[in-house]
Amino acid sequence: MKACIISDGEYQTETFQNLNRTIAGYFAEKGFETVKMQVEIGDLAFCKGCFNCWVKKPGECVIGDDISRINRTAMNSDVVLLLCPVVFGQFSANMKSVVDRWLPNMLPFFKTRPDGSTMHPPRYDDYPKQIMIGFADDLSAEDMVLFSDITKKHRTNVDVLFWMDSESDTRRELDAIRLERAGGQL
Amino acid sequence: MSERIKEIVLISASPKVEKEEPLSAYLASLEERRFKSDEFHVSNVNVRQCVMKNQTEEAFRTMLATDAMIITFPLYFFCLPGLLMRFLQDYDQYRVRQGNVTKNARVFAVVNCGFPEPEINEDAVRVIKSFSRRIGAEFRFGVLIGGGGMILGAKDAPFMKKVMEQITDAFDLMREDVLGNGETPLGNRYVSVRFPRKLYFFMGNYGWMSMARQNGLQKKDLYLKPYRDRN
Repeated sequence: MKACIISDGEYQTETFQNLNRTIAGYFAEKGFETVKMQVEIGDLAFCKGCFNCWVKKPGECVIGDDISRINRTAMNSDVVLLLCPVVFGQFSANMKSVVDRWLPNMLPFFKTRPDGSTMHPPRYDDYPKQIMIGFADDLSAEDMVLFSDITKKHRTNVDVLFWMDSESDTRRELDAIRLERAGGQL
Repeated sequence: MSERIKEIVLISASPKVEKEEPLSAYLASLEERRFKSDEFHVSNVNVRQCVMKNQTEEAFRTMLATDAMIITFPLYFFCLPGLLMRFLQDYDQYRVRQGNVTKNARVFAVVNCGFPEPEINEDAVRVIKSFSRRIGAEFRFGVLIGGGGMILGAKDAPFMKKVMEQITDAFDLMREDVLGNGETPLGNRYVSVRFPRKLYFFMGNYGWMSMARQNGLQKKDLYLKPYRDRN
């Protein structure tokens, strides 16, 4: 089993270090082979909305930076964890570039979900289990709800946790998640 | 006695690098037209140019001194694009370095998305509200635009007249709000293109295939799975 852990080099806080240590320890104990990737400022270009990952080189970002390695590693893992600094209630800038450039992993077409909203269909038959773990030194209740809404309202197969400085709580929350690939919907 | 001229910053944050004007830039130009009068001094900030040329400081100084800012951007994965997050995150750090400056500016959001339903922009507007809280500003309301993929191409068509009026009415409301005392609670404005959903999907899906063909691809190529080692 493989776990891919992606983090933001701009937020090397004590809070992050505690979270990172907990996650690395948890997945090592569960027998996962882990790959850690840390995104620094300037490592990834911003998604420029060119849609060439849909209509020119389908499934691959055409920008020649590290995103292809990140996406390939993530797509071939059983679990992908994004350790996300929560800024203004959403992903920090570096982590948002990782999320924005996940776009090649979907198909371009429009589709209606059961709740009537629009989505882009999945490109792959199955996807790694995606877990977003939000953290911040001053995380407000309002920003936690917003971060969770942004992530969970629009996707299935994604779990959202928050690091509240408790290793035991985070371990218990991870224990409740099926740590394996899941088919179908994004 | 005449009122002081109000300072307005129009922040346009499309990450697109195409030759054609992106929708966010077009919307910012409409905003500018509605604010052009003796009562306002309008500054424009093109986020992509500022960030890519590493020239954000002048924009940050302007934002620190402004009475109101209008942040216009496309929806990326149900929230702000990475480019705009970089800009706002850096602005917040700049503001803190300058002595944790807070000025009770009013903030407005204008968000557009390619999906037909404008409600999908709501969480992005909440992010701008959270940003406003963080910088000590006052968030007023958002303009949420669905069907953004059609607006530039069809803006002059008769069936778009009402949509364009709704957009300019929302910008006029911003103008009145900046001039007023700001005590009236204002809700978000929702703008959706009145166009059959099935036809919108059909045209969109046809458009992707047409672009792919122009790039020498066949329909089946759109479904490639290059990142998966075995699938």
